[in-house]
Amino acid sequence: MSNVTLRIDEHTLTAPKGSLLIQVMLDNGLSIPHFCYHEALEADGNCRMCMVEIEGQKRPQIACNTPIKEGMIVRTTTPSIMQTKRAILELELRNHPVDCPICDQAGECSLQEYYMEVGLYDAHVAKSDKIHKAKHVDLGSHVVLDQERCVLCQRCVRFVHDKAKSADLVVTGRGATSVISAVGAFTGNGYAMNVVDLCPVGALTSSDFRFAQRVWFLQSDASICHGCARGCNIHLDHHAIKGGIDTLYRLRPRKNSAVNGHFMCDTGRISYKSLNENRLLEPHVEGHATSFSHTFSLLRRTLDDKSQTIVALVSPHWSLENLASVKLFCARFEIPLFGAHEASIEPSFADEWLRVADRAPNRAGLELLGIDVSPHARDRALSRAQVVLDFGHDATLSSMSTRYYFGTHPHSDAQMQLPVAAYSEESGHLINCDNIVQHYSGSVKRSEPLLSLHALLGLLVMEGAWATQPFWHATLIDMAPSLEGRL
Amino acid sequence: MSTHIVPRHGKSFKERWYLSALWVGFRTTFGHFWRNILNTNAIDVLEYPEVMPNDITARYRGHHRLTHRDDGSIACVACFMCATNCPAQCITIEAQARIDGIDEKEPRRFEIDLLECIFCGYCVEACPCDAIRMDTNIFSMVGNARSDFIRTKEQLLATQGAYAPTHSQAKGAHT
Repeated sequence: MSNVTLRIDEHTLTAPKGSLLIQVMLDNGLSIPHFCYHEALEADGNCRMCMVEIEGQKRPQIACNTPIKEGMIVRTTTPSIMQTKRAILELELRNHPVDCPICDQAGECSLQEYYMEVGLYDAHVAKSDKIHKAKHVDLGSHVVLDQERCVLCQRCVRFVHDKAKSADLVVTGRGATSVISAVGAFTGNGYAMNVVDLCPVGALTSSDFRFAQRVWFLQSDASICHGCARGCNIHLDHHAIKGGIDTLYRLRPRKNSAVNGHFMCDTGRISYKSLNENRLLEPHVEGHATSFSHTFSLLRRTLDDKSQTIVALVSPHWSLENLASVKLFCARFEIPLFGAHEASIEPSFADEWLRVADRAPNRAGLELLGIDVSPHARDRALSRAQVVLDFGHDATLSSMSTRYYFGTHPHSDAQMQLPVAAYSEESGHLINCDNIVQHYSGSVKRSEPLLSLHALLGLLVMEGAWATQPFWHATLIDMAPSLEGRL
Repeated sequence: MSTHIVPRHGKSFKERWYLSALWVGFRTTFGHFWRNILNTNAIDVLEYPEVMPNDITARYRGHHRLTHRDDGSIACVACFMCATNCPAQCITIEAQARIDGIDEKEPRRFEIDLLECIFCGYCVEACPCDAIRMDTNIFSMVGNARSDFIRTKEQLLATQGAYAPTHSQAKGAHT
C-alpha cells in the first residue's frame, strides 16, 4: 500500500494510505484526547473528544473516523479547537460524580488526564444538580459497574459484541439517563475483565483489584502469562507496602499483535494469586524446614551414590534457560531425564480465541531442547527408579521411590523440597503454541531471596556462570541452533 | 553548558582580616552573657512542665488526628493522597470496602509513624475530605518503645482537636 505524507501541527509524518488519523497520531506518540476509539475495536466516533482542525474543512473533524489524505494539514492546539475540546469534556463531566478519592481508576483515568489538559476549571453545574445513577453494581465475573462515572463511549459494549461474542452488555435508556447495563449474568465468555482495561474511566473496575492498591504505587514488569501455551503478553503489577512483602496485585494484558493483541482471558488474569500465596520458601527434608547447606550435602551424597537408580522428571512450565540447566545437570550426573506428558493438557480449557488446551507455557521449548517426552520410556524408567529428581512435575510415582522436588509451591509427597523462584521473580524465554519465542522478566522480591532453577543448579554443581544470562544465551543456541537470532 | 562568573565581594583588607567580624560577634554574645548574669531574675524562662506554653497559634502543626463526619463515622475514604504526598513516607494505609452505606471505601488500617514524621503538614494539605488534621496542639509525644510511636487508626480517631469545628468540613468532595 502506498504511503501518504501529512502535517500534524509541527510534525511531518508518513503513514500508509487509508490509515485513520487518530491511529497515525497515536503510533507517532502525539497526544490526542479520545474515549471511544480503541485500536482493537472499530472506529465508532460517538464521544467526539478527538476533534482536530483540518485545513480546508469548515468545522472541526473527529480524528478517529478520518482517513488520512496526501498533503493533509492538521492542527490540534489552536484556540478554537481547545475551546471545542473543553466544551465536549464539560459535557462528559456534566453528571460525573467527581469521586476520584474512592475511584480505583484514579491515576490512569482519561477523564483526569484530559481535565488537566483542557478542563473547564469553574463548573457551570452545581454538584446537587447532577443526575444520579447506580453505583458499585456487581455485574459478575469480577467486574463492578459505576454508571455515574460512565462516559458512554461503548468500548465495553463493542468489545463483548465483536470480540468476546457474548453480547451481554448494552446501553439502555435515552439521553442523559442512558446507562450501560448487563443482560442477565455478565460473563464475557471468559474474557469479561478486559472491559476493565478498555474502560477509559472508572465506570468498569475490577472487584478483584477493588481498593487493593493505588495504581501509581505499582511497579510494572513485562512478563508472559504462564497459564497456557498461548503465552499472552502481560504486565505484572506489584508493590511492597512499608514493612510488607512484595505482592502481585494484578495482571494486565500487554499489547502484542502477533500473540494476544490487547487482551487476555480471565483465568490468566486471576492466576497471579498462586504466586503470592502458599509458596515454598525454604528447603524441607522429610517435611521439616532446614538450611540450604544441609539439603545440598544430602543431595550431593545421593547424586554421588552410584548404587541408587536415579531418574529425573521435568515439566514444561519452566523457561528455556531452566530446562537447559536441568538437561546439563542431568547429563553431568548421567541421570536419565524425561519431559512432561499429557497431565497439563486440558481440552475443556480451549476456546476459539486465545485459550488453548495445553496449560503448560513451554512444551515447544521442552521438545526443541531434545528432552525425551515419550510416555513409555518414562514409565519404564520410573518403575525402576529409587530416587526421582522432580523438577516441578506432577506425575504420580510408585510408593517405592523417593521424590526430591524442585518447585515453587510445596509438594505433599516429597522427601526433599527445594524452593525455586517463580516466573514473577526471574527472567527467561518461552516458546508458545505458535512457535514464537518470547522473553519475560519479573522483579518481584521475596523477603527470602529465591534463586531461579538454573542458578540453584549452578550452585549445586559449583558453576557460577549458570546464574548469568549470557551463558544461557550461548548454551541455548548451542543446544538448539534454530534459536539463533530469536532469543 | 555555559558558566556564570559571580563577582566575589569582600576584597578589602578589613573584610579579609576576619578578626574584626569576630569581634562584632563576640560583642553580641558577651552582651547577653553579662546582662543575664548580672540580673538572673530577668531571664526569659518557661518553667515547663509546671507551666505550659500559652503562645501556640492555630497554625501550629501538632499530633495528627483523623476527623469524623457529622454522623460520627470516619471521614477518611482511604484515597491515599496523604500517603502519596508524604515526603517522609510515614503513613501506611490499607483500604477496604465500606459496607455501612455511607461511603464506598474506608481505611482498614491507617498508621502514622511519628518517629518518621517530619510534621510538615503536607498530609493535611493533600486531604480532599478534611479527614486528617494537625490541630491538636499536642507537641509532646513520649513512649518506651519505637512501636509506641506508631499511631493506629483508632488512636488517631480518638484524638481530639483543639479548636472548633471538630468535624470534617469537606463539602461535596465525595458522597
